[in-house]
Formats: sequence, structure tokens, C-alpha cells
Amino acid sequence: MMEATALGAATARSRTRASRRWRGAAVGHLYLTPAIVLTGLFVYWPLVASTVLSFYDWNLVSPTWAAVGWQNYRELIASRAFWMSLVNTGKAAAALTVLTVGVPLLLALAVQRVGPRWRDLYRVVLFSPTVISMAIACAVWLWIFHPLYGVLNTTLRLVGLQGPAWLSSSDSAIWAIILVTVWKTFGFNFVLYIAGLLTIPREMYEAARVDGASERQLVWHVTLPLLAPTTLFVFLSTFILSPQNLFIPTQILTQGGPNEASNNVGYLVYQLGFEYFRVGYASAAATLIFLVFLVLTALQFYLAERRIHYGR
Amino acid sequence: MRFHQGTVLLVAVLGLARSVGAAEPVTIEYWHINSPTFGGPAAKELVQLFEAKHPNIKVVEKFQPGVYTGLMQQLQVSLAAKRPPAVAQIGYNLTAYAAGQFPHVLLDKYRKSDPAFFKGIPDNIMALGVLGGTLHGIPFGVSTPVMYYNADLFKAAGLNADQPPQTWDELQRQGAIIKQKTGKLAVYLQQPNDEWIDQTLIWGNGGRPLSEDGKRIGWDAPEAMEAMQMWQDMVNKSKIAANLTWEEGLQAFLSGHVAMCLTTIGRQEHMRRNATGFQVRAVPVPRFGSKPLATATGGNVLMIFASDPAQEKAAWEWIKFVLSPEGATIWTKGTGYLPPRAELANDPRYLKPFFDEAPLMKAALQTFPYTKPWVSFPGPRGLEITKILIKARDEVLEGKRPAELILKEATQQANALLPK
Repeated sequence: MMEATALGAATARSRTRASRRWRGAAVGHLYLTPAIVLTGLFVYWPLVASTVLSFYDWNLVSPTWAAVGWQNYRELIASRAFWMSLVNTGKAAAALTVLTVGVPLLLALAVQRVGPRWRDLYRVVLFSPTVISMAIACAVWLWIFHPLYGVLNTTLRLVGLQGPAWLSSSDSAIWAIILVTVWKTFGFNFVLYIAGLLTIPREMYEAARVDGASERQLVWHVTLPLLAPTTLFVFLSTFILSPQNLFIPTQILTQGGPNEASNNVGYLVYQLGFEYFRVGYASAAATLIFLVFLVLTALQFYLAERRIHYGR
Repeated sequence: MRFHQGTVLLVAVLGLARSVGAAEPVTIEYWHINSPTFGGPAAKELVQLFEAKHPNIKVVEKFQPGVYTGLMQQLQVSLAAKRPPAVAQIGYNLTAYAAGQFPHVLLDKYRKSDPAFFKGIPDNIMALGVLGGTLHGIPFGVSTPVMYYNADLFKAAGLNADQPPQTWDELQRQGAIIKQKTGKLAVYLQQPNDEWIDQTLIWGNGGRPLSEDGKRIGWDAPEAMEAMQMWQDMVNKSKIAANLTWEEGLQAFLSGHVAMCLTTIGRQEHMRRNATGFQVRAVPVPRFGSKPLATATGGNVLMIFASDPAQEKAAWEWIKFVLSPEGATIWTKGTGYLPPRAELANDPRYLKPFFDEAPLMKAALQTFPYTKPWVSFPGPRGLEITKILIKARDEVLEGKRPAELILKEATQQANALLPK
């Protein structure tokens, strides 16, 4: 009888715990529901709709969608504009990765070594471009790039060099766009690194010093490994956001020209969809680009995860 | 009971008065590209005057950024949502696309019902709204390219500023002198995201941007290739012309770094106000030898997209007003566009005082009789054709390959996109 009572009590406790867990999980799901619904509605549903649309020809106005099978994809793969924009995006992603992942890291390490007053000054100076509107920044850069009397070419002439027509030459236009994008996004990554450096516990350095580590070894064996999660985030966000960050300078400075020389995948999708009104074709481009970036991002995750040390 | 009877009577009388005295007010949307610095205040003034004359029609004017392409993007989206504006400005370069792809009101019926309205608008101007023999839009803004020049740079080069070049040969001769004597570039031909000036060169050299049957692009015709090769040579061989983006080119001219600038008369007020430290003048664009002057016409037509009969009626009233002598006067003063009713320029009640005080406008008036259409490429792929031709121009001006090769390739691509 006693055993039965104890068993019953244990079962009841177990039920209560399960019930609590279930209720806890239900509340969790409930809290997540708005985010999930909105993400589904504004991210995943457009993704699915865009993929479906990529098999149709539609101009936004026509009451019917004409099914065209794989035609949009075939046309895209045969198009010079698509490959040019993909190559340019690759160039930009590589340049941005070096210039806005590597250089801000070095500067953040340097800023950590100067006194607090200088540190604040450097932070303000290096972060300022980030808070300036990109459209306004582009207007200023338009003047800087002016081949006849812009600051850039005037300075180059002072040292005996002839600068190009930055925005009108197919050799330089994409680099002009990259330069503006680097200038604009550089400061944000710099601040992320500063924040990352502050999370590294001081005792790690003290322990390493006690073990006789040199300053270079501290950076190499303590700072960089413990900063790896920040580096991964900076690297991925720079890479994934590069087409978006390139959009405004491209729109304002070159409209993808001359002759596609400064086009990139984000701007190409916009052109196809909202300049030519070929929404199905633009969706095919968006889908292909999504797949390319998905594969590259997964690869980065896979490679980076193996070398990253989270937490203490 | 007596109170109730009185109330009923009052309501009945008021209702009767409403139905007899005033029709139901109609609200229409008017979409335009007139920014605050380019005709925006004129658009607002037109609305105020119109509403004062038509108390039953309310016009909501909406500025659309991104010039004609930007407006088309918004229009396409609004049509998809089945909420288009009643009236919108459509650039001449986009008219064929809009007429072919968008549901809109055909306007030939108004030729019969409103013949007085059409009097005074020349045939070559009204033709800008006609496609395939049907009137799709009413020409509203009419602009011509002109050649602005820096009179002080001409004088500094020892040239007579009262005798600027009238032909391309003269321009190249004088341009070489300007470059040699002043070190400045001689000329900039506008290079925005359209092919308006390219079409002007082609028309001017006796070519046609598009064959009359609409089946062939004219960029590979000898006249077109010769004109574009001349442009390439001025940039890359004699190096007297600038290859710059539109904004850069305008800045270069206004700051005195380029002696001549071919762009729209719609910029005359901007040129006059912003030319720094020199006297700006304007003449018609140069001719090709003894060939007659011919320029592509810029500007827009007004098209009606309203599907509701009351809205359509109100939209037509609006169009009639803005093109009336009173409306066109406000419009021309506010934008620098030429009035589609040419006689207003000589009428002291309307635009004569304005033209007398705006000497730059004379170049546009002299060009007016020689205007040709800014050809809009037909079919659903017409917008891509325009882009192909802009890209070809970019390549021509870089000078890495002869114009002939580039234009033949571009024409072949473009022809494939024309409706069969």
C-alpha cells in the first residue's frame, strides 16, 4: 500500500514536471510565433514565390504569367551581364573581405594599445563614415572622383601620376564603387572588433605572460583565437552583405556602367526587375545568386567552425 | 410630429439641392517628375488654378523620383495593384513601351469631341503621342537639345564668341584651338542613362534610329556609325571632348573646365544660375555639313490610366487645362520646356515677355521646327534595347574598338528583341 502510494506520488511528480516542461515549451513557442510568422511571411514566402516566378515570364502588369520552363535560366547563363556582375561581385567581396575584415582588425589591435583619450578620438574618427548617409557620401565621392578637378586626381597629379576617369572607365569604375563601400562599412567592423577585444578576459593575458609569452605570441595565441567568433561574424556579414552594400553607390555613381563594368548581382536583379520589368527573369537571377551565396556561406561556416574557439 | 415633418422636409430639400447644384466631387492623381528645383512649384500652381476653375475636381499631384524611368517603375507597380494614377507623364523614350504594355485610354475620340483643343498644336509635335496611327498621349513637355557655351573661354582662345560653331567640322576646328590656347576641353555631349543625344546625332547625320516599319534598329546604318565614330574620335583621337558621367559633365561645364555642353534646354535656368564666373550662351546643336538641322525631341506625353469614366473625364479636363494657353505659360516658365502651342512664344499675353528675358531659350525656339521624335522602341523588350544602345555608346567612347564593330554587334542584339 505504501509502495503504491509512493509510486503514485512519483508518477504525479513526474507528470507535474512534464506538464511544467510542456507549458514552458508552449510559452517559448508562443513567444517565438510572431517572429516566425513574420519571418515566414516576409522572408521564406517571397523566397518560394520568387523561385516559382523564375519559371514564368511576367511584367508585373499582365494578368497572366506565361510559363517558360527553364528559359529564364538558360538566357541568364548565356548573358554577359550576369557573368560580369558575378565576377564584379566576387572582386568586390574579395576586396571588401581584405579591406574591411583584415585592416579594421589591425587598427582595432593598434587602438587598444594607445591611451584612453587617443583611443576615443580614433574610435570617433574611424567610425564616423558609418553614420553618414550613403547617398550623401556618394554625392561627396562624385566630387572627389571628378577626373578634371576632383581631389583624388588632383592629388595624383601633384605626385606626377595621371588618374583615370574613375567612373567612366571600364577599368576603374568597379574599384571606385569598392572604395566608397569600403570607406562606408569599414568603421562598423572596426567597432565590432573593439567590442570583441573587450570580451577577452584579462587573466588570459596575465596567465600567458606568467608563462613567458611575448607580445607577438599574446596576439597570435590568445587574442586572435579568442577573437575568432567576432572575426567569423565580421567575415560572413561582410561577404553576405556585400551585394547590398554595393547597391547604393552603384545606383548613384555609375548605374552599373560603363558597359556593365561596375555592375553587381544585387544591382543586376534590380535592373532586370525594375528597369526592364522582366520579373520572372529577375527572379531567376535572384534564385541563382541565392544558391551561389548559400553554397559559399555553408562552405565558410564549415571551414571556420573547425578553427573557432567559443567562450572561455 | 411637426418636428419630424420639418426635419424630413429639410433633408429632402438639402438632398435635392445637392443633386441639382453640384455633381459628386472627383479626385484624380497626377504623377509627374517635377522636383522642387525642376518645375515642382509650377505643378502645384497648375493644380491650384485648376481646382479654382473646377471645384468638383480635386487633383492630387505626386512627384515621382528617378525621372521617367523612376515614374515608370512606380506606375508599373501601381498598375499591378490596380491603383494607377488617372494621369501620368510618360517620357517619349518610354511611350511605346507604356502604350504596348499598360492598360490606358486611347485619345482619338477626343479629336472629334474637342477639336478646338487640338488647334495650335503642330503636327510634328502631336505626332510624338501617336503610335501605329493611334493617339496614346498628349505631348506636354517638349524640350530640344541645345549647345550651351562658355563665351569667356572662346574669347580666351582668341575666338569670336558671337560666332560659335554651327557645324561639327567647325566645332572640331575651334575645339582644337580652345584646347591648345586654354588647356581646357572643348565639348561635352550629355551621357545620362538614356540615348537621347545619340538619337540626335543619328537624326542630324541623316539616319533614322528605327526603320519606318519598326523592324530594324538604325545604329548600324552608315550615317549612325559615322556620327558615333566622330564622337569617339573627339574623345580619343583629338581629345577635345570629355567622356564623363552626366553629373560630372555638367559640373565640368559649369565650373569652366569645358567650353561647350550639349544638353537639354530644360537645364537653361540651372545653367544660367550656376555658371560660375563666365557668361553662358546657347545656340542650336551643330549640323553635319550641309545637312539640315534635326534633333530628337525630349519631354513627355500625358497618358490617361483611369478606368472609371468619371475619373477619365476629370483627367481629360486636367489635360486640357495644363495645355491651355494659361496652363502652358505656367508650365514653360516653371520648367524651360517649350510650349506645345508654339504661337504662345510670340504672344505678349503669354510667353513673349518670358522669351524676351530668357535669351538661352531662343536656341530652343530656333530648333523647334526641326524636331524629330525621340524614338521609343516597341515591344515588351523595348527597354532592354535602349540599354543595349547605351552600353554600346559607353564602349564607343572608351575607344578600345572602332565604333563600326561595336554598333553592328549592338544592332544585331537589339534587332533580335524587336517584335517580329
